[in-house]
Amino acid sequence: MLKKLLLSAALASLAGYSYSESIAPYSGITPNAAAGGNTWSMDNVLPNGVPGLDINLIIYRYTPQKETADDMTVHIQNENAAGTGYIFRESDDWSGLPGGTEIRKVVPVVPSNRSLWGNGSIEVEGTGTVEEPFVFYNYRVDPCYDPQFDPNCPGYVQPIPEIPVVDIEIYDATEDEYVNLSSEETVLLEENEEVLEELDEEEEEEAEKKKRAYRLAALEASNAAMLFAENQRIQQMNQVAQQAVDAMYMPVTINGGVYKDALVMQDKKLPTNPRGLRNGFAQQLLHEKMVEMQYK
Amino acid sequence: MFKKAICVAMLSAVGTVYAADVPINGTVQSRCIITTDTAGVYGNPNAYTLTTTPADGGQLAVVRFDVTLADAYYAEITAPSEFSSSPTLPDTVTWTGDTEVSAVSDATGMGSYETNKIELGMTDKYDLTATGSTWFKTSSTATMGGNKAFPGGNYTALVEALCVAQ
Repeated sequence: MLKKLLLSAALASLAGYSYSESIAPYSGITPNAAAGGNTWSMDNVLPNGVPGLDINLIIYRYTPQKETADDMTVHIQNENAAGTGYIFRESDDWSGLPGGTEIRKVVPVVPSNRSLWGNGSIEVEGTGTVEEPFVFYNYRVDPCYDPQFDPNCPGYVQPIPEIPVVDIEIYDATEDEYVNLSSEETVLLEENEEVLEELDEEEEEEAEKKKRAYRLAALEASNAAMLFAENQRIQQMNQVAQQAVDAMYMPVTINGGVYKDALVMQDKKLPTNPRGLRNGFAQQLLHEKMVEMQYK
Repeated sequence: MFKKAICVAMLSAVGTVYAADVPINGTVQSRCIITTDTAGVYGNPNAYTLTTTPADGGQLAVVRFDVTLADAYYAEITAPSEFSSSPTLPDTVTWTGDTEVSAVSDATGMGSYETNKIELGMTDKYDLTATGSTWFKTSSTATMGGNKAFPGGNYTALVEALCVAQ
């Protein structure tokens, strides 16, 4: 039985672990957003239907083509979907610099939800062009962004099923204007209601009495059971004590016969102790002296 | 007897000189890191030429310099002028090579690296004036003298990349 319990517990824990794996945050990277041109929609770049997606890094590279003397600034940017301006804008100023050298950049950003990221674009300011652009977005997804996604998510609330409210109208014949009751019938109905109320009260009292009787009986039974158990324990203790006493005395066998007194005191002269006598005498003298002193 | 022992101990303590060398340790982390981005490959467009030109089946060697301190280092990159390993060659080999900036991580700070470089034979010297990453690509061509063919086998040549403190 214990093995079965342990096995089932282990299985339960395994199942729980694999389930919680599904709510672990994960990262990803988009394909080249600029593959189709210098403007793009984030809906076409980021995975759809993922609410807890935050963008945390932009990687891009391109090769500017320009004359050295020309002014040229390249902006890699995303509009702010929740307002005006840009949520991301990285600029490279190539003014006075030769073209043909690729730029590769990794730009970390404060993680922000995809809902804030509007359309992206590569904007060239000045004279020149951009060749072979690559723009990648690195993102992180928190499946528990909506706690109701999974029961293992922190803050998950067990959904309460909606119970449809049915409006039932209880028909009362006494209030039906189309039902004609005579005064006698009305009185009878009222009397019936009183009788029914009395009967209900009696039933309630009866039920209460039964409950009291049952509680009392249960209490008595409980006390009796306790006394019985206590008595049994005392008996068991006595038996154990008696067994200990029996173990000490019962195995001893007393041999029969006569037991004679073996100790015999021999007559001998006992000399007086002169030192003790002297000491006692001196104390006696001292005592008498003290007694006499009180009469002086 | 105990008192004598204490006296002896005190005398010996006074007469001894103790010395200790206390080390001071420090670690300096390099602020210039060189990483091989792409290993080069020699193509063999004809019997007496080995070249990294992509059009001839070769591949340029690319090395990356990551600098976290501006105006502190030079990048010195030398194209190969000999094989580090090869079969026995029947004649002398003529070498040509060049290094160019392939990519940068900062347009404004690094955009002029290529125009400002100093060429010393097969060595190109760049002043790393900005922090960030710079990719350098090196081409190499080896031509066997007397239009003789390169013997069959494996050939290896090394591009030397140095980060020299200013």
